[in-house]
Amino acid sequence: MKILVCLKQVPHQDARLDVNAESSWIKEDGIKFEINSYDTFALEEALRAKDADASTEVVVASIGPERVTQALRTALGMGADRAVHVKDAAVDGSDALGIARLLAAVAKEVGPDVVLMGLMSDDSNASAVPPMLAELMGIPHATAVVKVEKTGAGFRVERELEGGALEVVDLPLPCLLAVQTGLNQVRYASLKGIMAAKKKPIDVKTAEALGLAGQVGAGAAKVRIQKIYQPPKGEGAEILTGSADEVVSKLVGKIKELGLL
Amino acid sequence: MGSILVVAEIQKGAIREASYELVSFAKKLGGDVSSVVLGSGIAGEAEAFAKRGGGKVYVADDPALANYNVDGWAGAIRAAADASGADVVLLSNTPSGWDVAPRLAAGLDAGFVSDAFDARPGPVFVRRVFNGKLDAEVAPTGGKVVVTVQPGALAAFEGTSEGATEKLALDLSGLRAKFVETRVAEAKGVDLTKAEIIVSGGRGVGAPEKFPEVIQPLAAALGGAMGASRPVVDAGWLPHEYQVGSSGQVVTPKLYIACGISGAIQHLVGMKGANYIIAINKDPDAPIFEIAQLGVVGDLFEIVPKLTAAVKSAKG
Repeated sequence: MKILVCLKQVPHQDARLDVNAESSWIKEDGIKFEINSYDTFALEEALRAKDADASTEVVVASIGPERVTQALRTALGMGADRAVHVKDAAVDGSDALGIARLLAAVAKEVGPDVVLMGLMSDDSNASAVPPMLAELMGIPHATAVVKVEKTGAGFRVERELEGGALEVVDLPLPCLLAVQTGLNQVRYASLKGIMAAKKKPIDVKTAEALGLAGQVGAGAAKVRIQKIYQPPKGEGAEILTGSADEVVSKLVGKIKELGLL
Repeated sequence: MGSILVVAEIQKGAIREASYELVSFAKKLGGDVSSVVLGSGIAGEAEAFAKRGGGKVYVADDPALANYNVDGWAGAIRAAADASGADVVLLSNTPSGWDVAPRLAAGLDAGFVSDAFDARPGPVFVRRVFNGKLDAEVAPTGGKVVVTVQPGALAAFEGTSEGATEKLALDLSGLRAKFVETRVAEAKGVDLTKAEIIVSGGRGVGAPEKFPEVIQPLAAALGGAMGASRPVVDAGWLPHEYQVGSSGQVVTPKLYIACGISGAIQHLVGMKGANYIIAINKDPDAPIFEIAQLGVVGDLFEIVPKLTAAVKSAKG
C-alpha cells in the first residue's frame, strides 16, 4: 500500500503572534515553526500501517518556503520513506483551493491508495484542504476521523460527531482521511531515524513543474484575507494585580461572595 | 448581493436550530434566500421551512440520504446550487457541514470560507484563526463562495417567508462511502454536567502528574470536580471523560476555574454557560480572559497551591 501524508508547517503553538504591516497575516520573522499538530497524528497513523506491513510506502508532501525542509526532515526521521516539497514563491498567497490543486498534482504523480492528513491547521483553522483535495482527486473522503481500521476493500473509520457521538463509515480505496487529534500516540524521531533521514530523498517541485503555472498563488485565489487583527476586547475579565498572596486572598473573597465557600 | 442558498439540516426529525441561524446570516448579507433540505421522508419539514425563512426550498428526499453521506450530500447540494444559481452557499459548521462544504466549493470552482461567525454585505466574512487568538476578515475575489457558519453565532431567524418546495431529481446510485451506524457516546465515568464547581487544567499544566498534584487538590478543597481541555486528553494525560468542550462535556457550573487553558473555541463552547469564570494563565492575550469574569495573569504553579491552602483554611 502507498500512503501520501500531507503536512503543513505552522507557527509553534506558543509563538508570539504579531500582525504584519499589511495586516494580511502574522510576522513570520524570528518565530519557531512546527508540524501542524493534527498532521502529526496523520503521519503516525501512516507509520503504524508501515510498521504492520513493511511493504507500505509512506510519502510526505508539504508546500512552503525553505523552512519547510525542517518539517519534512522530521517526518523522514520519524520513518517516512520520501518527501515531496513544493517550494515556489509563485504559490505564495494561494487560498485553500490553490493548495488543494498543488497537492492533487503531487498526488497524481505519487499515486497513493490512501491520503492521510490533519482535519485542520493550527494557524488557519479552516478544515478546507482535505475535502477539496479529495474532490479534485475524484475520491471519497471522511473528516474528523478518530479511528481507522483496514478492511478487505478499504477502511472502516469512525468520525467524531457532536457531544461525543461517533459515525461509522466504510470507504473503498483510494480514499482520503482527515484525522482528528488524539487518534493515536505520536512517536518521536529516534537518533537513528534522524541519521537515516539524511539519506532519504526530498523531491523539490515548482508550480510550473506540476503543470499549474498561473493556476495557483495570490492571483488565482478565490478568497483573500482583507484584514487580520486581535479580536476586539470586550469587557473581558477583571485582571487581579498584586502579589500572589494578595491575588489569592481576592480570589477567596470572590468565591465566598458567590456563596461557594 | 445576488442570491443565497441555505443548506438546512435535519436533526431528530426536525430542521435544526443552526439552519434558522443560517437564515439570519443570509439576511445580514442581504439577497434572495432559497434553501435545500436533505433527508428521507422530509416533505413536511421542507414545507415548514419554506414558510419560516427558507424561501424557495429544494427538497433532496431520498432513502439514501437518511444518514449523512458525503457523496450524496455533495451531489444533492450541487444540484440545488445549480438550480438556484446561488452566488453564496451557506452551511452550518457541523460534522456534516464541515465535511461536505469544501468538497462542494472545489466542485463549483468557488471560494471557501470556514466557520464564519459574522458577515456584512460585500460580502465580507469574519472568522477566528490561530485557535481563537486572532480574527480575520475574508472576502471572495469575484466568483461564487461557499461558507460554513459557526453554530450559535447568530440568533435563529424567527420571521416568516413566502416559499414553495421543489423536489430535486437526484441520481444517488454511485455513493462510494457507506454509512454503517451512529454510535452514542458511552456513559461517562465522570459526570461534570452536575458539578457546581469545576477546576479545569489545560496544556499549561504541562505534565500528567501535575493534575493530581496541583489541579485535583483545588477541586477537592472546593468540593468540586476536575476537568480538562482537549490537548490534555489528546496527550493521554487524562481520559476523555474529563474533557470539557464541544467534543466532550458541555458544563454549566456555578464556578469554573480554568488553569493554563488558553481558550480555544472548542473549549469555550463547553464552559461559557458557567455562572462565573475565573481564569489563571501566564499569557495576558489568552482568549480565555475575554470570557472570564476574573483573571490572574501569572504562574498557575504558584497561584493554585496557595489558593488551595487558602480555601482549606477558610473552610477551617
